[in-house]
Amino acid sequence: MAELTVENLHLQYGDNPILKGVTMTLNRGEVVSLLGPSGSGKTTLLRAVAGLEVPHQGSIRIGDKVVFDGSRRIDIPAEARNLGLVFQSYALWPHKTVFDNVAYGLKLRNVGASDVAARVTTALEQLSLGHLAQRFPHQLSGGQQQRVALARALVYNPPVILLDEPLSNLDAKLREEARAWLRELIVRMQLSALCVTHDQGEALAMSDRILLLNGGRIEQQGTPQQMYSTPETLFTADFMGSNNRLPGRVAEVRDGAALLEGDGWRLWGTAKAGAASGKDGVGMIRLERIRIAEGDGDNRLAANLTTSMYLGDKWEHLFALGNERLRAYGDRPLAAGRHWLELPRHDFWVF
Amino acid sequence: MATVASATPPVEVPRAESQWLAGLPRALTILVTAAAVLAPLSLIVYQSLLSAPFFDAVKTVGLDAYAFVFADPDFWSALVNSLLIAAGMTVIAVPLGAILAFVMERTDFPGKRWIEPVILVPSFVSPMVLSFGYVVAAGPVGFYSVWATEVFGAAPWGLYSLTGMAVIAGLTHVPNVYIYASSALKSLGSDVEEAARVAGASPFRVAVSVSLPLIAPALLFSAVLVFFLGIELFGLPLVLGDPEGHLVLSTYLYKLTNKLGTPSYHLMAAVAVCIVAMTIPLVLLQRRLLQNARKYATIKGKAGRIRDLPLGRWKWFAVAVIGAWLIAAVIVPISGIALRAFVTNWGFGVNLAEAFTLDNFRAVFDEPTHVRAIWNTVLIGTVGGAITVACYTAIGFATHRRNDGWSRVVDYLVLVPRAVPGLLIGLAFLWVFLFFPPLAPLRKTIFSMWIAYTVVWLAYGMRLISSSLLQVSTELEEAARTVGASRGRISREITLPLIRHGLLGSWLLVFMIFEREYSTGVYLLAPGTEVIGAQLVSLWQGGAIDVVAALSLINIVLVFIGLAFALRFGVKLRD
Repeated sequence: MAELTVENLHLQYGDNPILKGVTMTLNRGEVVSLLGPSGSGKTTLLRAVAGLEVPHQGSIRIGDKVVFDGSRRIDIPAEARNLGLVFQSYALWPHKTVFDNVAYGLKLRNVGASDVAARVTTALEQLSLGHLAQRFPHQLSGGQQQRVALARALVYNPPVILLDEPLSNLDAKLREEARAWLRELIVRMQLSALCVTHDQGEALAMSDRILLLNGGRIEQQGTPQQMYSTPETLFTADFMGSNNRLPGRVAEVRDGAALLEGDGWRLWGTAKAGAASGKDGVGMIRLERIRIAEGDGDNRLAANLTTSMYLGDKWEHLFALGNERLRAYGDRPLAAGRHWLELPRHDFWVF
Repeated sequence: MATVASATPPVEVPRAESQWLAGLPRALTILVTAAAVLAPLSLIVYQSLLSAPFFDAVKTVGLDAYAFVFADPDFWSALVNSLLIAAGMTVIAVPLGAILAFVMERTDFPGKRWIEPVILVPSFVSPMVLSFGYVVAAGPVGFYSVWATEVFGAAPWGLYSLTGMAVIAGLTHVPNVYIYASSALKSLGSDVEEAARVAGASPFRVAVSVSLPLIAPALLFSAVLVFFLGIELFGLPLVLGDPEGHLVLSTYLYKLTNKLGTPSYHLMAAVAVCIVAMTIPLVLLQRRLLQNARKYATIKGKAGRIRDLPLGRWKWFAVAVIGAWLIAAVIVPISGIALRAFVTNWGFGVNLAEAFTLDNFRAVFDEPTHVRAIWNTVLIGTVGGAITVACYTAIGFATHRRNDGWSRVVDYLVLVPRAVPGLLIGLAFLWVFLFFPPLAPLRKTIFSMWIAYTVVWLAYGMRLISSSLLQVSTELEEAARTVGASRGRISREITLPLIRHGLLGSWLLVFMIFEREYSTGVYLLAPGTEVIGAQLVSLWQGGAIDVVAALSLINIVLVFIGLAFALRFGVKLRD
């Protein structure tokens, strides 16, 4: 069942369109990530759902309740939408204790004092914050603040919880732990969550479904595996993962495969949208898919090693092919000079 | 595992108040503000178009009042004097203020920490008191003039000429420039200056070729501000211009009161409209320039802690310049008053020790009106100031985070009193109390003073309040909205508690300016409404120098008590 339905949402600041017709759903117990570069409208979409931005067209439903409908002039204010929102900055009220921060939403709902105490205590304990109830936000670490912000958003059981870049304010090392912890919490509590992030790794790890936004439109949506392994557009392919780009000319398209030609090289790859015989094309392959081969062979090309970087668990080698640069991973250092690189047909996409 | 999410159904927010009811406080606030600002001003314009005071039975509508004023050569000489003094003080105050700001913000000048509050003293002490201080310290028979004459044979300064007034006005308005120049320097990232030094520029070159051009918008703004304050000048030309008969616009208007024997309200209104016609464009220009200056400041670089530039051999030069200014603008007038308050009389051949007396203070405390003036002044600063800050806060909330037409209306409403000198607003409020009979009973109460003060300082106060409000991150309020708080509850339970320190600071600053205020009360002075500032103007006209000196000193002490509290609580003395 859809907890959140957004249909054809348009939003602009002045003359500047931010959302240009976004349609999406969020099902119960599902985590959906809004992913995209800055300026793609992902945070605006989240804020429009929360009621903090006013769209000028389209509709938003929470469960079966319409909270926004441009044509019927319905706009339920943010305070009446009953959603939980975790801000990027956490936005904890500095003048209230942890307990009071979490309790505020219940007090606004006229919950009795003993009930408030019981619910807040439960929520804090679920997030391992029980011992911090009487502290003030500035006395907490970043990770603890984030959990308080979550508790505050969860305590009144909103049907949907909105997370705005929930991990971006944490240190790099803490971020990976928090990611696992947050995913576990969401699954355990069967939350329906909409999460904004600009970090594709975070989106892949946390979500059941990813919506990739580009310039106010949804570029592609699907499971993390679909988004990573079968991108439909060049933008999606480029945004997810680390990539090599090879511009060239499409010489032939046959049976879903395309032949891309460049200066001194010819490679077969999977034909994607836009690849047409006789036109310019772009070949793309993930770094981890390039294989360093022993000699010439099928779908291979020769390139000069420019330099190598040691990454700890592997090496990253940089090759020059005319004016183009190719990067590939290897498990050992390479000697200077020419090397053969294999770009498997299935992993080499031609757009 | 029992979880919050699955065990209990969602709790919905009860929706009680209707949209209409929720908007009521805001509508009321805007309405009251509009009435308080526009009623007195429209009365001035209306009065200026009548041929006689509005309470006269025989009057016609027309431009007679303007015709009379424009035919009066005194008006034109007052206008020219105003412009000359305003221009002169701008030329003096802007470079000095800029140098002072650079030295204080960027160099290793000794004793910076304690000098800053001293620099601001001239802007906290009533101009009436300062001018009086100059008269008793450096007038023809002032303390320093007498000493100088005894040493050099003659005092090398003339206080009562136009030049003298422009110089003194310029020196005492240096803090106004300093405030804006130093905040511009503060917000200017030190990295741009460090980049210039690394590229090989000397500290002096850095100041001239990097810092100065970058704070030029702030300096331009403060130049217009000082010029504008020059047009508004009242206390200084009243005290210093009198002996040689130099009039400026505000003193011309003040003298009109008695010029024709009968109240000449229509003439005063016509002059008032002329003054406002000059100040409104200046205020709009300031607003423009300030926005511009802010824009400039935020683009430039990262604000980081800069290492102080070593002044080196320039140190003694800087000490001399700043020391000379401090002596001229702070020490001379204030020591003059302090001395004069404790002597019976002063002149050539008088021995300080023999003339020492406490009679001046006894005279003050024996006279009930003076005691009432002191009491009222304290009351209007403390209780009145608190209510004023509450009013300003209400107006602040009416526009906070709202970008609609009403907010823009309030923006301009707040700006309007800025363009009207306190003297005129006091006059206009007097008329309001006379014009609307239901308000007449309030006329003889301190309320009449309080409302005029509150309107005069509306723009200043709103700047304090909105700078507090701007420090509250939007997200803190949005977070409250998403958990279900209405606008009213957000204001009361989130925003208000968060700005309470800012409000306390605003209260202290409002206390100080209310203690300092003098011109607003001139026309509202009546039995029951006495305040020190207005009382001083009236006593000075009557020539009661001993009492004026004692009351002035008491006034300074009150301001300094506020200043001490402000410093103790770490209140920012400027925005």
